[in-house]
Amino acid sequence: MSLTKYAARRLPLTLAQVVAVASAVFLLVELLPGDAAVVLAGDSPDPARVAQIRAELGLDRPLPERFGAWMGGLLQFDLGASIVSGRPVADIVLDALGPTALLAGLTLALLVPLAVVAGVRAALREGGLTDRTLTAAGVALYSIPEFALAIVLITVFSGYLGWLPATAIDGIGPAVLVLPLLVLLARPLCSIGRLVRAGMIEALAAGYTRHALRLGVPRWRVRYAHALPNALAPAVQQLARTTDWLLGGVVVVEAVFVIPGLGTVLVDAVADRDLPVIQGLAVLFATTTVLVNLAADLAAFRLAPRA
Amino acid sequence: MRWLLLAVPSLLALAGPWFADDDTGRAAAFSTEGLLGTDFAGRDVWQQVLLGGQDLVLVAVLATAGAYALAVPWGLLAATARRRIADELLMRPLDLLLAVPSLLLLILLGTTRAGGVLVWAIILIHLPDIARVSRATALEAANGTVVEAMRLQGESRWRVTVDFVGRSVLRTLATDVGTRLTGTLYLVAAAAFLGVGVSPDTADWAVMIDRNRTGLFLNPWAVLAPALLIIMLTVGLNLAFDRALRTRER
Repeated sequence: MSLTKYAARRLPLTLAQVVAVASAVFLLVELLPGDAAVVLAGDSPDPARVAQIRAELGLDRPLPERFGAWMGGLLQFDLGASIVSGRPVADIVLDALGPTALLAGLTLALLVPLAVVAGVRAALREGGLTDRTLTAAGVALYSIPEFALAIVLITVFSGYLGWLPATAIDGIGPAVLVLPLLVLLARPLCSIGRLVRAGMIEALAAGYTRHALRLGVPRWRVRYAHALPNALAPAVQQLARTTDWLLGGVVVVEAVFVIPGLGTVLVDAVADRDLPVIQGLAVLFATTTVLVNLAADLAAFRLAPRA
Repeated sequence: MRWLLLAVPSLLALAGPWFADDDTGRAAAFSTEGLLGTDFAGRDVWQQVLLGGQDLVLVAVLATAGAYALAVPWGLLAATARRRIADELLMRPLDLLLAVPSLLLLILLGTTRAGGVLVWAIILIHLPDIARVSRATALEAANGTVVEAMRLQGESRWRVTVDFVGRSVLRTLATDVGTRLTGTLYLVAAAAFLGVGVSPDTADWAVMIDRNRTGLFLNPWAVLAPALLIIMLTVGLNLAFDRALRTRER
């Protein structure tokens, strides 16, 4: 099967997934008790005022009608306006997108080469220093929650040593990003590095690589043109799972380091019951996850076409 | 060494509340007097540490157990379904759940503030994964010659599905209980840190880290003690399960 055919087969499923997840998010948020009208009405809400706000916001209309309106807007990339500040959700998201995209982008840009180099090195010399470090760190770092690691790093590097700033309150510069990136990289680097290692060991022991060596194909070609692509396929799929962690990790890391990104917007919106913002972010996150999974499946298919 | 890593935080978490004083005298906030000093509200950090682990551990264990209790029968049912459509109806909706980032699901559900909502949210997060693994393993066992022989001998459907297929699934699932429990612990702690599903003044290690961050430079132990305990707990758990797995393989 060619790549285009495979993509064409996967695309309808992906679209259905996005639509279904968007609907599920809408319903889920509708089920949240407490609503924005009460939050907006202030400390001692007066029932008449709450009812008035509800009417103004259209919260008193029946559920299917609001769902239809919201889905219709979504198709035109109109996510509605924040209930609390009145600003369009799209604007809020665009403003906060920068820091989050920077964090996620830098993490991925560092993660992929580092994981591949570490994994390949560990596989080429099993039991060597890189191998032992990767295995030991993998088991230990894999399970530590980001916020706990972040707090320990902040205490050491900002508190005792005073080398790096503890938060991004004074603006985002290179020094501010060091600790958040370290925290975000720790978990996925270990898991993906270990997968690359396992895949590479398997590929190097396989019949086709030994056969290629016997045929006189240069060692570097066997390693990097034949074994590596096969070893990478499972790692690429794990990389897609990592975006799920990365999104979660970014939310936590933004909270710890006070970075004004999407995670901070989400946590604030949930606290204020700002439904349009929560829905908009949820759709954005879910769509990203679905698209990344699609991209990973396509990449894995390209690297090692099997089914 | 690794048992110590696991034993210290779990003993503190489970037995701690019994040793905590009822007397919660208030002192100045973030002072360094006493064993670990005081927290943002002037409460003794050591007492808070004793009180703050139980919920974390109990919720994690309960949620993981609940997830298996729901997902394994789900996967078995799908694998042994006579009609393909039943299998599809059981498994397709789970694919949708997989598309929702787990922390987002936790935050969305956690805001309902209903009792036990964290446990349910985590069951929902683990459900697709465990059900898929159980189904895949069960399919292998259910299409084997043993099952065929049992059917021919007239064994009841219950005995074939639960007694034989179910048992073979459990053996495979046992290998990833550890990872899943650590993952749950991770999620519960992260949610509590973000203030989801807990009230802001509860004694909880993750909440302590969040609330005492402002005094990080005044009394670092108010933050470091719970952070180190959480790290010890998760790393210890992972190491213990990892070792157990490797001994089994030999």
